[in-house]
Parts: sequence; structure tokens; C-alpha cells
Amino acid sequence: MGIQKDRVKFNVGGRIFETTATTLANAGRNSMFGAMFDEDWNLVLDNFNEYFIDRNPDCFAVLLDLLRTGELYVPAKIPEKLLYREALFYGLLDHVRSAKWGQFDGNRLRLSRSVTGQAPGDGTAIRAGPDGGCCVAHGSIVHVYDWMLDEHPPINLDYQRVNDVGWIDSENIVLGACERLGRGDGGMGLFSSSTGELRYKFQVSHENQIKSYTAGALSFSSDYKIFSSCKGRSNEYGIGVWDQVTGKQIDFFYEPLGWSLGDADKLQWLQGSNCLLVATLFPRKDNCYISLLDFREKQMVWTWSDIGAPLTVDEKRVRDAIAMEESNSICVVNEYEDLGFIDLRSTASSIRWSSRSRLMKGKMPDEPCYPKLALHEGQLFSSMNDSISVFCGPDWVLTSRLRRSYGGSICDFSIGGDRLFALHSEENVFDIWETPSAPLL
Amino acid sequence: MSNQKKRNFQIEAFKHRVVVDPKYADKTWKILEHAIHEIYNHNASGLSFEELYRNAYNMVLHKFGEKLYTGLVTTMTSHLKEISKSIEAAQGGSFLEALNRKWNDHNKALQMIRDILMYMDRTYIPSTRKTPVHELGLNLWRDNIIHSSKIQTRLLNTLLELVHRERTGEVIDRGLMRNIIKMLMDLGATVYEEDFEIPFLDVSADFYKGESQEFIECCDCGDYLKKAERRLNEEMDRVGNYLDAGSEKKITNVVEKEMIANHMLRLIHMENSGLVSMLLDDKYGDLGRMYNLFRRVPDGLQKIREVMTSHIRDTGKQLVTDPERLKDPVEFVQRLLDAKDKYDNIINLAFNNDKTFQNALNSSFEYFINLNPRSPEFISLFVDDKLRKGLKGVSEEDVETILDKVMMLFRYLQEKDVFEKYYKQHLAKRLLSGKTVSDDAERSLIVKLKTECGYQFTSKLEGMFTDMKTSQDTMQGFYASQPDLGDGPTLTVQVLTTGSWPTQSSVTCNLPAEMSALCERFRAYYLGTHTGRRLSWQTNMGTADIKAIFGKGQKHELNVSTYQMCVLMLFNNADRLTYKEIEQATEIPASDLKRCLQSMACVKGKNVLRKDPMSKDIGEDDAFFVNDKFSSKFYKVKIGTVVAQKESEPEKQETRQRVEEDRKPQIEAAIVRIMKSRKQLDHNNIITEVTKQLQSRFLANPTEIKKRIESLIERDFLERDNIDRKLYRYLA
Repeated sequence: MGIQKDRVKFNVGGRIFETTATTLANAGRNSMFGAMFDEDWNLVLDNFNEYFIDRNPDCFAVLLDLLRTGELYVPAKIPEKLLYREALFYGLLDHVRSAKWGQFDGNRLRLSRSVTGQAPGDGTAIRAGPDGGCCVAHGSIVHVYDWMLDEHPPINLDYQRVNDVGWIDSENIVLGACERLGRGDGGMGLFSSSTGELRYKFQVSHENQIKSYTAGALSFSSDYKIFSSCKGRSNEYGIGVWDQVTGKQIDFFYEPLGWSLGDADKLQWLQGSNCLLVATLFPRKDNCYISLLDFREKQMVWTWSDIGAPLTVDEKRVRDAIAMEESNSICVVNEYEDLGFIDLRSTASSIRWSSRSRLMKGKMPDEPCYPKLALHEGQLFSSMNDSISVFCGPDWVLTSRLRRSYGGSICDFSIGGDRLFALHSEENVFDIWETPSAPLL
Repeated sequence: MSNQKKRNFQIEAFKHRVVVDPKYADKTWKILEHAIHEIYNHNASGLSFEELYRNAYNMVLHKFGEKLYTGLVTTMTSHLKEISKSIEAAQGGSFLEALNRKWNDHNKALQMIRDILMYMDRTYIPSTRKTPVHELGLNLWRDNIIHSSKIQTRLLNTLLELVHRERTGEVIDRGLMRNIIKMLMDLGATVYEEDFEIPFLDVSADFYKGESQEFIECCDCGDYLKKAERRLNEEMDRVGNYLDAGSEKKITNVVEKEMIANHMLRLIHMENSGLVSMLLDDKYGDLGRMYNLFRRVPDGLQKIREVMTSHIRDTGKQLVTDPERLKDPVEFVQRLLDAKDKYDNIINLAFNNDKTFQNALNSSFEYFINLNPRSPEFISLFVDDKLRKGLKGVSEEDVETILDKVMMLFRYLQEKDVFEKYYKQHLAKRLLSGKTVSDDAERSLIVKLKTECGYQFTSKLEGMFTDMKTSQDTMQGFYASQPDLGDGPTLTVQVLTTGSWPTQSSVTCNLPAEMSALCERFRAYYLGTHTGRRLSWQTNMGTADIKAIFGKGQKHELNVSTYQMCVLMLFNNADRLTYKEIEQATEIPASDLKRCLQSMACVKGKNVLRKDPMSKDIGEDDAFFVNDKFSSKFYKVKIGTVVAQKESEPEKQETRQRVEEDRKPQIEAAIVRIMKSRKQLDHNNIITEVTKQLQSRFLANPTEIKKRIESLIERDFLERDNIDRKLYRYLA
């Protein structure tokens, strides 16, 4: 039957709200309002020409305002969780999420919350999920948080030490763990992010024999492949490739003599050049090995290593590396947070250091955390001790620094779902940095 | 009043709602179940959405999601079973309509049920990994309706029957068909495939197998192809009208296989209408259709190409080996050009300018043109003919077109050096007799040859042009330096560089005294200006214009060859001369003399001499007189020499021999070049490389190459390896 006139009157839990059908249409068909006003449903007005809804009126006010303006203002008296529950009832939870924080910009980040976990500290990794959730790996357990920062059942793979985790999508998490000798456990598993259950275990076979292995760093490609550095028992070192859809192993790149792949700290899939960046860094190995693998040609198409390089007095060792496809270079960082750049177009490149932060020397904390790098939409992020620096522009100028007063050094951070998550090493706490919504004018 | 009661009852129920109420879940479910019934019964107008939504929410919230979900499955299943019965009951033609109507109802109901159960769909179902409501509804429809034993086959048969009726020309309800097919697609690609597409393809294959058999018995090739094309288009239209787009490739494959691939050879070779007769009759339309249809099947074009190639080869072979055709070289070449034009047109108009067909055409021409060893000569003669007279009044572009076509034939020649030989001879004749029509055309052709074969191929030809130009200047200089030359005969000398021109074994004949004096003066002048040169007279190549007065006073100017001039001048001092006397006086080689006498005594209208006896041939004992009765309506009479345009047999042998002779140094040069860079090479490789290097000029004969290698070994350019006798080494 539809709505005869544009005005609509609701009685929500005893409070009268008046709005328009146009405003309600913003909720979309896939919400309670969308269904309610579909012409299949013959709406019944009660005696007072109102539609009665038996829900919390305060939250309804907030959500109605969200539908009217697209902005979210939650009065202090309403607990967030209450609002989320009501939004879920109406089918407006996605609206709330997308209005809660703005589009990511490394230079406008504000600390939104800090979450304290149960583990004693020493987290391995934190990974941002695609819709604003995150997961934190501690020892053999991975804690999963949704975007509302509610914790879900934790996940683990045979209680083995977790080396890396990653999100395939908002429902699925891949976890790479060490194997325990002779037990055939460890390896890699696919888990539900909401229930923590193991859905699939990825296997590696060499010469048609399934072998147990230790999964190291992980990377995912947009054409549904999973890459992981693998260490088998008998020199079966290299990079394994699986199909995300079928879960089957589709390739294995064996580690060549005199090089390191199976121990890699970092994998990064480069969509533009169809290559995988593999970096094994100090101190996992005595030397650093960075290479680009082309799986179609089964070749290392680009390599760099510091083997044989003269040790300088200040002993700059590469601690993290990230490829930047736009500028055809690899950015590396040393323990003093000096950034260095290696040209990807020539094979005999050396590092061009930009010694920006020599000041750090001598001011190192007792228990330093090695720097980590991340790249997000043209902004380069580098964590060092208790702060994260943001670099922009063609010359990577320092533009912002994120720092918080407690929690100790940042051992890992991750960007995703328009949020930045930073995991601290001393206390088991992680921070959520968000970009506020756009200014009014 | 009763209304009031009902309300009261409901309010009661909720007032006492307690979560722990063991009947709470059952009661709530009853309400929802009732709503689902009402929705299926088109009776939803009395339902309160808000209440139902809230009830479903509460069930999930209070952990009765499982009950809600299983209840939904049971209720929906029972409704679908009823629907199934009512569809089964539909009679004949109304079956599909009933199915379509019920499908629409079900979809609408499903949407409404999903609206009520939205909260369950969003929270309970993902966390328990159950099938979402919409998908569940489709699955249940599939299992209870489409796969019910009484509907599944009936549906398939109805659909196939409709397609068949449409194929046989009936009009069917395409809209209904489209809806049903879309339903199968909505239920999942596998449902569409298994419940329709696969059997559809099987039935179609049978249909077209039968139909193609029928057509091929009664149609000619062109008609058959038209029918096949129409069927193909119909099937594509059908896919566009009501099938899934993904079926197009599959159904066209079926038609292609049944109608084309299975009958390919029979179609091509069909008597009086197959490919060959299409080619003969230039049936562009049919050929184009055949190309487009055969292109769709594996090896289709390959077959067309094979048959076309063998047809071109056969007809070409007939053409070049037919002794009748060899009589007229110009027509011979013209026929080649016509054939080429014909097939170019076919490939252009019917075969989509397909490169593979062009290549097949080229290789066929190359094959049969070279079957006739005289092709190079004939092509040169054709050019000669065109450049002598044929190009008069033809625009520059047309000239270019003709020359381009000739070049195309030239490209097919394997013995390009033979062509060069003849071309040189013919060009020499044209230049010396001043017969060439257009200097531009001549030069244009030389430029084309140069781009095709390189500088060395044409350098001598260009030298000939230079000689002609230089000679003009020389003659001007000569007459300027000899002011005392008065009324006597005029001498025009063309000084030809030895080597640039075709050398002909020439015996200088005895010139009349007046002429030889003049020649001596020229020789003195020329050698005076150019030291270190030698002049020899090529009397066999010259021409003369002489004035003659016959018995009754007829005055004519005769255009004759130098030999004829010599003969005629003898009659200034004698009335009767025997053959022997003439031969003695002029020392013209016998064959040339016979020819020149024949042209003056035996050709009607040109018979300035009389012969005794009056026979066609010249005998050694014949006697000759001036023909006093000679008459001609022209003042100027051109007395041609009876020359075979084509070479006579001994001449041919001679040219051939010269060509072979010329090839020797070229082969040797090639061998040395190769060995110099390779240092050592085995026999077979040398042969291959030499052949490759020389193929732009001629096809080297392996035995000849072997002879050349041996000659080079004798002259210490190469040596054989001591162990491997097949291995040669270069000696620096």
C-alpha cells in the first residue's frame, strides 16, 4: 500500500517521533524500516495514527538523527553498547559503523580508545580487519575484536606459537603457527572471526607427500591467493601458495642455495608487477635478504642482500622493508628509524639512506622495539619505540607523529578499515586511532 | 465486540510474557507460523509487521533461533508441497503458466517472510552457518517443486517441446519461456544446466543431425549454407530471447558440429555447387557464407584453403603448361594476372582478407609459375609489350598498377636472374630501336626491381640508360666537330658499355662504303676524345632510314635494319643478285641474312625485293631483284625483320647457358662469404645457407653448388676435413 503522505509518526516506547518517509528510506531496503514500508506490507496504524515500536526511545532518537543527517552523535548518557544493540535490532548497525569514524588520513588521526587485554604483554602481531575489527596474537592465542571492540572467542592452532595472522575478509582469519617436532601439528589454519572455530587447515605437500611445516609470515593477493613462508623438516624451505577459494596448495617456491625465503619476516604481494616481496631481516638471520619472486617464471627477478657489505661504525641493519610500487622502490628502516630507499628498477642497487633521525641515537630506551613500516594510500608509517611517524610526499617528509604516554614501546601496528591499531609491548594494551568525521563547515 | 475480545486476548498474552514461560517459545512461534500461512494465502493485509518483527527478534534474543529456523523450514516445506500438488494438477498448456504464477507468489511470500525474520537472518544464521532465508526459500522450491518427480520431467519435456515447435515455425509464448528459464537460473546455474541446458543441447544435436541429413540430400551447397546460416542465427536469437547468455556458445557449437563440421567435406566437394564451382563462378556471397560458417569449426578454414590451393595449382598448372598458351607470351602473362585478380577479389570480398588465404594463394602461384621454365622470359616479354605500345594513352596511375602487378608475378619467380637476363635483352632492344613509350614507366619499373632485389640487380640496367644519354651528347659533339659533313648519310651511334648490355656474338658485316667511311670518322673522333677505349660495331642491332625510287618512279622512305640496309644498298649497283653473292658481299651471318631477305621478299606489302623462285623460304640458290612493282599507300614504309618475338630454340639454349654461367661466380661468392664467417661447415649446411642467400635471385641447384665447392677446393679456397669428408674448412 505504501505511504500515502510523506509524514510518518512513530510511537517508540512511549515517545512520539515524527519524521518523513524520505528520511526512513535512507535506512535502505535491508533494514526494518525498509521492510516495514515495502508495499507488500499493509501497514496498520493504531488508534492515534502512529506506528508503535516497542523499543528504547533515547536510542531511537540517536538513530533517527543518523538517518536524517548521516552523522552520529551519541549523548554521554547512552552507553555505546546499548546503541549498538538497538541499531542491530533496526538493521542499522552498518550505518552506525560507517558514521562512527571518518575516512582514514594519517595526518588527522586521533586516539579513539585503548583496549587492555588479558595477556601479560609481548604481543606478536596486531592486524586490522577490513571492517574496523582487529586481532592480536599473543604466544599461541589470537584474540579477535569486532569493530565495536567486543571480544570474540579466541582462536588457536593446536596451541602452537603463532607467527603471523591475517584477515581474508571480515569473517575469516588465517593464522600461521610453528610446528612441534614430530607431531604433525602447526602450519596454517582458517578460522571464523566470530566463533573462533577452525574451518580449514592448509597443507603442504612435497613430492605428493603431505609434510608438516612451520608457517611464518603471511600475505594475501587480490586474486585470492595466500602466500606464506614455510619451513619444513628436511630443508623444504620456501614460499607456499594456496588458493583462498579451494584451500588447495597451488605452488611452492623452493629456497635457492645461499638465500633465505623460508625464514622470511615479511611477505608483500605486489599487484602491479605480479611479484611477491620476501624479506628476511636481522636479527632473524645474520644477514638481510630481500627478493621479488615471480611465480610464473619461478624466478627471483630482483634481489638485494647485505652479505659482504662493509660494516659501518654505526652498524645500520635493515629491520623492516616495504615495497612501494608507485615509486618503484623498496623502503627499509634501521634500528635508529633512519629510512632508506632501494631502487627496484636496477638489480645492483644500494640503499640510499635519508638520515633523518640521527637524534635518536643515545636516547634509546632500555628495551627498544624494532621499527616497523606500513604504507597506506601514499602515506608511509613507521613505528619506533612509543610513537608512530607519518611521512608524506615524494620525498617522504615527516608530517605527523602519534604518541601516547603509557604502554611502553609499540611492538606492532596495522592499518585497515579506516583505523590504525597500535600494540604496545610492556602492558598488553592496544590503541585505536581514528580520523574524526569531516568538520561541519 | 468480538474484535474487542480478540485484542484483549492478545494483550493478555503479552502481559504475562515471561521468558521462563516454557510455552513462550511455542506461543510466539505459533504467531509467526500463522503469519507465514497468511502470507502464502495472500491474506497478509491483517498482519502487523512490527509485531511479527519483534516476535522473531525476541525468539532469537532468547535463544530460540534454532526453533524459529526449523519451524520456518517445516512450514515453508509444507506450503511448497501443496503448491506442488496444484501445479501438478494443471492441465496441458496451463502447466507452465501455473508454475510461473506460483513461482511469482512464492518469491513475494519469501520476501515478506525474510522481512519478518530479518534479525534472524542477520545474527543467528551467520553465527550458526545456516542457509540464509532467501537462499533457503529457493532451495526448498527447487527440491519440492522443480525436482518433484511429477514436475521435473514434465517441465523439461514442455520446455523442449516449445523449443521444437518454435524451430518448426510455430509462434510460442516467449515471455513465459523467459520467465521459466530465469527461474531455473535463479535457482542456481547447476539447476539450469542439469534440468534444462544439457538435455536441450542433446535434443538440439539430434534435431540438427536429422535436419542436416535431409538438407544435404536435397540442397546444393549454396542453399545448404544459407539454411545453416539461418539456423545458426535463429539459435543465437533464441538465446537472446529467452535462454541464459552462457548457452550461446554451447548451442552454436552444437549447430556448428551437426550442420557444418559433420558435412564439411561433402559440402566442399559437392558436385556442381561445391567450393570449386563457387570459385569458378566467383560466387562471392556463397564463398563468404562458407568462410564465415567454416571458420566456426575446427579445421574448417584449413579444408577450404586446401581445396582452393589445389584448385589454383591445378588450373594454374594447366595454364602454364598448355602449349596453345605458350604461343602468345603477352596473353599468357595476362591470363596469370587475370587469375591473380580473380582470387584477390575472392579473398577480399568473401574471405575477409584472411592472411592465411593470401599466403596460400601466393604459394600456389609461386608453385605453378615456376613449373614453366619460360615464365621469366614471358613476364619480361609482357613488360616489353606494355612498354613498347601497350601503355600509350594510359594514365600514369594505370601504368603503375600494371607495373605493380607485374612485380607481383616477378616476386613469385624463383629464377629472378633469368628474368633479369631477358629483361636486359628486351630493354636493350627497346632502347636501341627507340621503341620505348615512356621513360618514366621504364625508370619506375627499375626502381621497383631495385627495391625488390637490391642495387646490384639493376645497376647494369641503369647503366644502359646512362649510355643512351651519353651517346646523345657524344653525337652532338661529333657533328659539331665535323662541320664538313654535308649531304652524305647521317650516322647515329650509340656507344654501349660492354658488360652493361646483353652481349651478342656479333660479326660485323660489311657496311656500304659510304657508311664505313663515316663510321671510321666517328671512330677517330671518339677515340680521340676518350683514350684507352675500344669500339666495335654491333651491326646486328642498328636501323637505317633509306630513300628508294622504284621502277615506276614510286618514291618511298624505307625504315630497315642495318643488315637490310646493307643488302638493299647492293642493289644500287646490280639488278639481280644471288643469295651467295649477297652473303659474300655483306658477310651477314646466314641465319640473320635469311631472315632479313625473307622480310624484304616474302612479306606482302613490304616486298621491296622479288625472289626467284617465288617461295616462302629462302634457299641458298635463290636470286633476288628489286621489285619494280612495289607499291604502298604510305610514303614511309617500315620493313620489320621477321623475328620471332619469343626466342628461337638455339637462342633459348644460349640464354640458358649464359644464365648458368653467370650463376657460377655468384654461387662461389656465396660459398666464400659463408665459409669466411663460419670457418668450417658441413656439406648439408653449406647447401642450405647458399640456397637461402641466393633465393632472392634464383634457386641454386645443389649439384651445381657441389661442383662450385669442388672448384673452390681445387683453387685452395676450401679444404676437406681429413677425418670427416663431409666437413669443409675455409682457408684464409
